[in-house]
Amino acid sequence: MIPQQFEYSAPKSLAEALALIADGGKPLSGGMSLIPMMKLRLAAPDRVVDLARIAELSYIREQAGSIHIGATTTHHEVESSAVIRAKCPLLAETASFIGDVQVRNLGTIGGSVAHADPSADYPAALQALEAKIVIKGAASERTVSADDFFVDTFTTALEPGEIVTEVIVPVEAASTGTSYQKLLQPASGFAIVGVAARIQKSGGKITLARVGVTGLSNRAFRAAATEQALTSGTAVQAAADVVAQAIDANSDLYASAEFRAHLAAVYAARAIDAAIRRTS
Amino acid sequence: MKISGTNTLALAPEEAYRRMQDPVVLAACMPGCESLETIGEDEYRMKMKLAMASLSGAFEGKVRITDRTPAGFRLIVEGTGKLGFMKGEGLLTFSQSGDGTEVAYEGDVQVGGTIAAVGQRLIDATAKMMIKRFFEKLAA
Repeated sequence: MIPQQFEYSAPKSLAEALALIADGGKPLSGGMSLIPMMKLRLAAPDRVVDLARIAELSYIREQAGSIHIGATTTHHEVESSAVIRAKCPLLAETASFIGDVQVRNLGTIGGSVAHADPSADYPAALQALEAKIVIKGAASERTVSADDFFVDTFTTALEPGEIVTEVIVPVEAASTGTSYQKLLQPASGFAIVGVAARIQKSGGKITLARVGVTGLSNRAFRAAATEQALTSGTAVQAAADVVAQAIDANSDLYASAEFRAHLAAVYAARAIDAAIRRTS
Repeated sequence: MKISGTNTLALAPEEAYRRMQDPVVLAACMPGCESLETIGEDEYRMKMKLAMASLSGAFEGKVRITDRTPAGFRLIVEGTGKLGFMKGEGLLTFSQSGDGTEVAYEGDVQVGGTIAAVGQRLIDATAKMMIKRFFEKLAA
């Protein structure tokens, strides 16, 4: 449980950090995934660049209809932020489901997103929220949609030398109902499946449905078939039943692919039902 | 862990069949493969470097081709490294599908050591991703 020797840098500015990362340094944020891997010697970076002391990366700001969240903002800060709880409750609720309290005190939104664990909680909510991810490198800056960002298992749109600097989520209309429902692996806290739902209703009809799913397959995704079924008036359970349609479900010792697909339908129905109850 | 699936390649069946037995092509297409050296008939020594997420490690092992029939063959890949060991074998069958070829695979992936102890829940997703990348490169 002792990592291999490595050099440690703790820059105070983003520019300095990006230069070190461009030089081959491995970015470290909350360390909730990287440090265990290093202790097991599954990961052995030569240089670790700690982002924790970069003040300019930790903030929650409301700006022109969006909430901008700095990459090193912890899950606990997201979960307990008055702004996020009031104006993007889905993200606060999702953050409250991550790991345990120790993990939420250290783990960060940028770290979770950049790691792209296929069972992480945030990606489901970010898909449902149609969030944007801001990426920076020593000589690059771009913003990509969550759907374009999460490419595959542990694979994102990040190029070598780039890091996630910000996550942008919309300010939710007060009438929108949202919910995140998850079955967690009791040992790791990771989602076996997790479903984030956003619903808007008008005149008794669903006018907007966004459903993000994590844990089921190689990446978090938006369940387009379920969304379309909901807005065309299909009953919730019937709409939830198509959530795993055309998805190549993962299997592990805990849940087979068939069981996971079934769980996805069950948790999708729960999330959608809860979201509908919260609409106004 | 059982693994099976199909992949359609925009290549004629004979060409797909030939490419997937060519060590030069295999070395270029297997994710992380650094070298493939012939050590016998249908047997190659492989060096592989796996880098995924924060994880990285070198593996050394063998690639073998057996049970060759006109319809397909069995591909066996095994490697050992500091992170653990892995063994994958798949029976590949080739059939015409429109202008291309449908390659069906059915087999088994075994992973052991530290990598399996901590990464059990990710083996399936990782194996699928590596197979997908292999076919993407093969068709290119």
